Amino acid sequence: MSQPVRVRPDLEFVQELQAAGGHDLKKCYQCATCSVVCPLSPMDRSFPRKEMVWGQWGLKDKLVTDIDMWLCHKCGQCSEQCPRGAKPGELMGALRNMAYRDLVGPKFLGRWMSSVKHLPKLIAIPAVIYLIVWLITGSIHGTPFPLENGEIVFGLIFPGDFSIDPIFGLATLFVLWTFYKGVRTIFAAYEAQPKTFVLGYHKPRSLLSSFWQVIKEEVVTHKKWKDCGEEEEDETKFKGHLVLFYSFVALFIVTSVVAVTHWGGKILPFLHMGYPMPLWNPVKILANIGAIALVVGLIFLTKRRLNVTKKDESAYADWYLLGVIWVVALTGILSELLRLSGVAGLAYPVYFLHLVSVFMLIAYLPWSKLGHLVYRVAALTYARYMGRVSTEIENKQNKVFVL
Amino acid sequence: MAEKIGVYFDKSSIGPYLDLEALAEAVKNKWSSQCPVVSLEDKLASQEGKQKIQQDIDNGTIDAVCVCGTSPRFDSEFFDFGPKVPVARTSLREHCVLAYDDPDGKSLEPGQETPEPLQALARDYVNMSVTNLQKTEPPEGEVLETEKRVLVLGGGWTGLNAALSVADSGYEAVVVEKEQELGGYAAKLYKTFPLSAPYEEAQFTGVDRLIESVQNHDKITVKTGTTLQRFDGQPGQFQATLKGGSGEEELSVGSMIVATGWEAQDTKYVEPLGYGKHKDVVTSMQFEEMAKKGEIVRPSDGKKPSSVVFILSFRSLLDEIVKEEEAQKAKEAEERAKLEEEQSDEEVAVEETFKKTESYRHLAFTNEITSLNSLKQARYVREFLPESLAYIVYEHMTIPGLNEHYYKAAQDDTGIMLTKGEVTSVYEEGNGSIVVRAEDTLIGDDIEIEADLVVVPTGLVPTTALDPVIKLAYRQGEAFPELELFDGFADSNYICFPYETRRTGIYAAGSVRQPQTLPRSAEDASGSALKAIQCLESVNRGMSVHPRSGDLTYPKFNFVRCTQCRRCTEECPFGALEEDAEGTPKPNIARCRRCGTCMGACPERVISFDNYSVGQIGSMITQVKVPDEFELGGPRILVLACENDAYPALDMAALRGRKWSPYVRIIPVRCLGSVNTIWIADAMGKGYDGALMLGCKYGDDYQCHFMKGSELCDRRMKNIGETLGRLGVEIERVQQEQVAIDDYDLIPDLINDFVDNIYKIGPNPFKGF
Repeated sequence: MSQPVRVRPDLEFVQELQAAGGHDLKKCYQCATCSVVCPLSPMDRSFPRKEMVWGQWGLKDKLVTDIDMWLCHKCGQCSEQCPRGAKPGELMGALRNMAYRDLVGPKFLGRWMSSVKHLPKLIAIPAVIYLIVWLITGSIHGTPFPLENGEIVFGLIFPGDFSIDPIFGLATLFVLWTFYKGVRTIFAAYEAQPKTFVLGYHKPRSLLSSFWQVIKEEVVTHKKWKDCGEEEEDETKFKGHLVLFYSFVALFIVTSVVAVTHWGGKILPFLHMGYPMPLWNPVKILANIGAIALVVGLIFLTKRRLNVTKKDESAYADWYLLGVIWVVALTGILSELLRLSGVAGLAYPVYFLHLVSVFMLIAYLPWSKLGHLVYRVAALTYARYMGRVSTEIENKQNKVFVL
Repeated sequence: MAEKIGVYFDKSSIGPYLDLEALAEAVKNKWSSQCPVVSLEDKLASQEGKQKIQQDIDNGTIDAVCVCGTSPRFDSEFFDFGPKVPVARTSLREHCVLAYDDPDGKSLEPGQETPEPLQALARDYVNMSVTNLQKTEPPEGEVLETEKRVLVLGGGWTGLNAALSVADSGYEAVVVEKEQELGGYAAKLYKTFPLSAPYEEAQFTGVDRLIESVQNHDKITVKTGTTLQRFDGQPGQFQATLKGGSGEEELSVGSMIVATGWEAQDTKYVEPLGYGKHKDVVTSMQFEEMAKKGEIVRPSDGKKPSSVVFILSFRSLLDEIVKEEEAQKAKEAEERAKLEEEQSDEEVAVEETFKKTESYRHLAFTNEITSLNSLKQARYVREFLPESLAYIVYEHMTIPGLNEHYYKAAQDDTGIMLTKGEVTSVYEEGNGSIVVRAEDTLIGDDIEIEADLVVVPTGLVPTTALDPVIKLAYRQGEAFPELELFDGFADSNYICFPYETRRTGIYAAGSVRQPQTLPRSAEDASGSALKAIQCLESVNRGMSVHPRSGDLTYPKFNFVRCTQCRRCTEECPFGALEEDAEGTPKPNIARCRRCGTCMGACPERVISFDNYSVGQIGSMITQVKVPDEFELGGPRILVLACENDAYPALDMAALRGRKWSPYVRIIPVRCLGSVNTIWIADAMGKGYDGALMLGCKYGDDYQCHFMKGSELCDRRMKNIGETLGRLGVEIERVQQEQVAIDDYDLIPDLINDFVDNIYKIGPNPFKGF
């Protein structure tokens, strides 16, 4: 047998876990109902039972290198069925929260993102930057709300080439670099884990083909969301996240098209498009559809989250993300509407808020819940690659428990 | 002797399925001089019915009542006419109408002519009841001078509570405690598991207040530093010889409560965990002492431990000891079996020397206590040393009942870590700390924990496993018999009669009968006190205490015919019979439970009860009309069913629509132990084709309400098998089956299979003689 492990419990870590969302983890008495109920857990070394006992014992090393925290999709069935009310689903969420916070520095960002008392500072960074820009451009135009031919042109106050693209570009590079480091860290940790050999399962040839499988079979279809359960709240969650995800995709496409045509247009003039884009422009249509879809998705998800149930608790990180995306969506739509209505006194401030909120969404991405965009996909990719797959894939059968 | 019997038929319980007029006619013809009243009543089981019968009694018309309707297990409130009027119940409803399985397969239709097998069955049963009454004397209980004093042996938590229960009920209690102080182990605890809501914190026991209440109670006498030397006599009239500081004294008591509790299990069982080898491996009891003194430190260097490991699971480490003990047990069983073979079958060996029954198993029996203790003591660690950690490695965390709240509260402490697992090694590591290795843990790996202090569990071994305790001056021995069946616990083996023991008038409470928490023990104390009082209040009225509560009959001996064979004195499950120099039995009626095992044992049939005797049942058996051939009315099979499990099972089967052959004749007996072999001879002689005995299960996990009855019956039947064989009667004709009260659905098959077998064997060769 393998060498015995010398345990050295970290009491502070236990308290950290409790604070990060696993506040009831000490109630668990290891009956394993959670692991049995979980539709996504592999059969060997299943989760979330072992995470609960590791949590109780403060075994930090085991927990921070645990790939299963990403295999969990927070359906909440474990918390619902737990006979002790130990809420294993919340512990899994806490582990993810701690991953967002601690995987990559700077440490202060992780700390700021963890509590509402730091929110003013997070808002202040982009707010101050863009207020400075506004002061400069405002004084150039002689008014904080300039018009061009009687039309509101946001580029007058916040010129894309100088104030938006560079700042957001840098932020994006920073975020990409952060994610790279984060994924490298977790991959290194998983490399050290025992491999699984599953009869009849063909491992992907490479990480890339594994990644492609994850996108094709899980992300595009949102297939795993169907395993969440049969309640109305599960249906709402599925619809909400699906719509939200595709609205993000649409808006991402739009932003990319704008970026490419704008900067590309400086070299290849035929690419150039005029701003603001007219409403009949297909890119603009996609953008508006995306915006509406965003709101629809948000309504679903917010409605569900407002309904408190046994499956899921909502903490600061959840409301922060929802809140930021709401502000992005509402300020975005409102900016467009106010611009088209010509209310300059309101349009510019709202656009300012839009820039601030978009900055918060992007720049702080790896430390927010939205970090799951990269971390979960990376972990799912690696899991398939190393053979750690859910029972469904092992057995090609549905492992859904209807209770 | 009943001379004027009133026979009453209850039409409402039988309905139109039996020709009651014809039945009544038959009775009148057969028993004209003995039965002045033979009547059909519309609804007998009612106040009106009862009054009618009472009138006939008051007029002097009848002096005994034969009720033909429902089973004796129902409606008894209507058919009680006082101890001077015997009542016989004929089960026409259950055992005739409901259970009737027509040989031709026809179903019973109301109003139709009653099939002859059913009518014959009913006739036989009524005749048997009349015969029964003719051989019944109204019982007069033997009232005994009763000492209304209860001896409470043991002045610990249970004993103190028992004494208070006894005294608060108005009876005298004498507490005998071998130590100089009262309080037992409860007084040595720092705290105990929760005694009250919300059951989340350990509490001080309050034993001091308990001791005070006992010492201040005017109905309780306390004798500390005193032991029981000898206990003689019978319930109501026990003589206890006590030895204390001031010498020996005699004390008369009516009953005794054994609350002598437990001793710590021998530490040899925890030596594989390093106890004795490493100074910093202590027992749970020693840890408790540390807490009581006020500080938890390592014995080796007096330093405060930063981690304490509580070990509850170490199965593989016990393997060697277990193998040794099991081998020893097997060897002893072999020797005993050889001894039994060598002796003649009629003699039952009586154990002369007391055998200790402590074993490795007592640790597992203490599961609830060791589990709770580990939680309690883990919290001591956190209470005394907030910076230290406590670990518990368990096989089971047995926390029943309200203590679940305590379990949750203990888990909530971040400094207490629990895992299931098995400790496979405890060894010392260079720097003076101890390492505990555990395998098959919930963590997923085999783990090693660095421990500054290791606590190993203390098993609770009942005092009765180590010492005779009750010191009886009974012929059958000074201790409770067959304690090895219960691993030394003074257990009754019945969840329904928990405080009973095999010695009437002596009741067990607390951890001497099962490892128990303090609240459970207090409950036990009250329960046993009630039993002890019930004993006094039965004996003083000449009644049996239990389980035939209120029974006024008792075994009467015709010593003229006694041959001093000693079978009754040895086989009495309760040691009720002493013997004189020649070996003639000396009955102690108050010890007796009226089971009739002595009656069944006696080859000369000298023993009988006023309303239950060899002659009575024999007459009932021969009262049945046996056809000369199978074709002329079927075979006849006698079924003797014990009233405790088998007879109720028969009733239940009938009431749930089960049916069986109409060729059986069922007679209830008090216990299969009371079945005298002459009854089988009577049956065979009369021409019965078979005899089936239905009784409780026997063996290690017996359910026989009189402990040994059905086992003895089985042995006796095996003995007569030889005799029968020599007479040309097949031994398959006489069988015994074990029936539990919930086996009612097996009854029809049991009976019908037996009947089928009789058909195969053919008619009794002595039929028609």
